[in-house]
Amino acid sequence: MASPGSDESPAIAVDGLELTYSDGTRAVDGVDMTVPRGEFFGFLGPNGAGKTTTIKVLATLLSPTAGSVTVNGFDVRSDPRKVRESIGYMAQETSIDPELTAAENVRFACEAYGVPRGQRADRVDELLDLVDLRDVADKRAEEFSGGMKKRLDAATALVHRPPLVFLDEPTTGLDPKARNRLWDYFRRINDRGTTIFLTTQYLEEADQLCDRLAVILDGEIVAEGSPAELKREVGGEVLEVHFEGDDGGEGDRGGDDGNRGSDRERAAEIAREFDAFADATVEVTDDGIAVTAPTAREHGTDLLVALRDAGLTVTGFNVRAPTLDDVFLAITGEEVETERMDAGREEVQA
Amino acid sequence: MSDATGDETAGEARADGGTTESATAGPSAAETAAAGVAGEGGGRSSNTFLGDVWVNFKRWNVKAVRNPFVLVVSLVQPVIFLVLFTEVFGNVAGRAVAEGLPGVSYETYLVPAIAIQVSLAAAVTSGIGLVNDIENGMFEKVLVSPMNRTAVFLGKTAAEVFRIAIQVAIILGLGMLLGAEIETGVVGAAAIVATGIVFSLWFVALSNSLAVLTRDQESTIIGANLLQFPLLFLSSAFLPLSTLPDWIQTFARLNPVTYGVDTARALMLDRDVMTVLEVSRFDGAMNTVIPGFAVLLGLAVGFGSVAVFLLSRASSSDVQ
Repeated sequence: MASPGSDESPAIAVDGLELTYSDGTRAVDGVDMTVPRGEFFGFLGPNGAGKTTTIKVLATLLSPTAGSVTVNGFDVRSDPRKVRESIGYMAQETSIDPELTAAENVRFACEAYGVPRGQRADRVDELLDLVDLRDVADKRAEEFSGGMKKRLDAATALVHRPPLVFLDEPTTGLDPKARNRLWDYFRRINDRGTTIFLTTQYLEEADQLCDRLAVILDGEIVAEGSPAELKREVGGEVLEVHFEGDDGGEGDRGGDDGNRGSDRERAAEIAREFDAFADATVEVTDDGIAVTAPTAREHGTDLLVALRDAGLTVTGFNVRAPTLDDVFLAITGEEVETERMDAGREEVQA
Repeated sequence: MSDATGDETAGEARADGGTTESATAGPSAAETAAAGVAGEGGGRSSNTFLGDVWVNFKRWNVKAVRNPFVLVVSLVQPVIFLVLFTEVFGNVAGRAVAEGLPGVSYETYLVPAIAIQVSLAAAVTSGIGLVNDIENGMFEKVLVSPMNRTAVFLGKTAAEVFRIAIQVAIILGLGMLLGAEIETGVVGAAAIVATGIVFSLWFVALSNSLAVLTRDQESTIIGANLLQFPLLFLSSAFLPLSTLPDWIQTFARLNPVTYGVDTARALMLDRDVMTVLEVSRFDGAMNTVIPGFAVLLGLAVGFGSVAVFLLSRASSSDVQ
C-alpha cells in the first residue's frame, strides 16, 4: 500500500462507507469506490440519493458511521487536517462573503489555506483571470450575478492548487450559458492534472465532463463505469417509432387523444411480444414508443412491418445510441424529471 | 453581452482599488509576524494558530468597516439613552442618586451604565455575524479549510471585542463632554473599557448560542434584543437599587448587568458601589471591582462553554 499522501495513493479510496444521521436516516449504505489521480469523476443520482452526504464525508464535514475513507492517502477520521489541506471544496450553495470584494474573497482563501505571503497577490490575479473576474476584482461580491458568484466560489476553492477538487452540483440553478462557461473552467482545471469529483443531477453534465461515473440511488452505488460503458449496459440501442397524428398536426387535435393513446399501447404490446426483441424494454413515449434492445438495429424493420400489418401508420422512426437518461431509466426504473431537476436544488438530507 | 457593463465595472473597480488595498495590505506588526511564522516557499505552508486568529480578526474587521450600519446601530441607542436620560430624568434621578452617593452627578452615575449598554448591544451583532456566515456558506467554507477552528472563532471574537473597546471609549468621551467625571483618570478609563470587554463576553457567547440554535437572523436579533431592555432596567444601571421595588432588587442580584455596571461605576467613582455582594476584604473601589470581575469572568466561562459546545456540535455535523 502506498504511504499516506504519496503520489501513488489514489485520490479517493472509499470502502464500505456508511453514514447514518442522528435521527436514524441511513443516507449512505455501503459505498465503495476508488478514484485515481487525474480523473474527472462524476457522482450521479436523483435528489436525496446520498450525493451530498458522501461528498461531505470526503471533505471531512461529516464523520462516517462505518467504513474506511482515505483522500489523497490521508484518513478522513484520523488526519482530517491533512485532507483539508489537500482538497478544494465547492459546496452546493454558493459560499462567498458578499461584503468582501472578489479579490478579498480569494485573498482570504489564500490566507486560510496558508498560501505563502509572497505568492498571494499573483495567485489572486491568476485565479481571477481563470474565472474571468479580473475586471471586477475590487467590486463587492454582493453585486455579482449568480453565475459570477459561482465562478468566484470556484476560484476560492483552487487557491492552494489542490490535487483534488470536490464540486457539489456546481451548476444547479444556473442558466445554460453560465453552465457552459463553468464547464470550460472545470475542463481547464482537469487538464492541468487536477482530479475532479463532481456530483450532479444533470445527465448531460456528466456526459460532457466525466471520464467515469458512479450512479448512487438510496445510498448505494447501483452502476459504475465510463459514460460509454454505462450506455452499453443499458443493453443495445434505442428504436423510437412515431405514429400518425402524433406529431401534433392541427387536424388531429382534439378528441383524438384516446385513440392515439390506445394506438401507442397497441404498438407497445406488439413490440413486447415481438420474438426478435426478447430482452427489450418497451416504453410508451409522448409521440410513439421507444424500444431498447440489443438487436434494435437489425430487427427494427421487422417490427415496423409488424406494426403496419396491425394497421398502425408509422410516420417516422429512428435508431439511436442510448443516452444517460436511458441509463437512469434502466437503473432507477423512473424517468428523470427534468423540470423538477431544473427548478430544484438538493437539500441536505435530514 | 456584458462587454459594456464589464468596462464600466472595471473603471469603478480601479477607482476604489487603492483604498481596498491599503485597508487589507497595510503594514502591521502582527501581520508581518504571522507571515513570518507561516514561512515562505513551497506551494503552501502550514497554518499557525496565531496566523489563523489574525486572518479571521482581519476579515471581521473589514466586514465591520464595510457595514457601518452595524457599528452605528449598536452606538445610536445607547447614545440616545445617555442624552435623553440625563436631560429628561437628570433632575429627578439625580436627587435619588445624591441620597446614596452625595456629590455624584447623574451624568457621572449614568455613563458606566451606558458603557455596559454599548457592550450589550455590540455583543448582539456577534451572533448576527455568525448567522450570516452560516447563511452565506462561509461557516462551512471555513470548516473545510485547514484553519484551526478554535483560532477561527477566537479571531472573530477578538474583532468584536476590539470594536466594543472602541465604542466604550467613544461613550466615555461623550460622557465627559456632557459633564461626567472619571475619578480614577486615564487608568480608570482603560479599566472601564476592560470591564466592558469582559462583560460583553457572556453576551457574545449567548448571542452565538442563539445563532447556532435558531440559524436565523431575525430570531437571533429579536431574541437578543428582547433580553436587552429587561436586563438593563432590572439592574443597578439607571437608579440605585435601594430606590427600586423589592422584586427588581431580587432580580438585579441575579442579573449580569448589575455586576458589569457596578464594576464600571466603582472605577468611575473610585468607591465601593456594589450592594448586591458585600465584600470588604479589599480597599475601597476594589471591594466592587474584584468581586465584579470574578462574577463576570465566571459568567464568560459558563456561557462560553455552552457556546463552544454548541459550535463544535454544529461544526462536526452541519446537518439538520
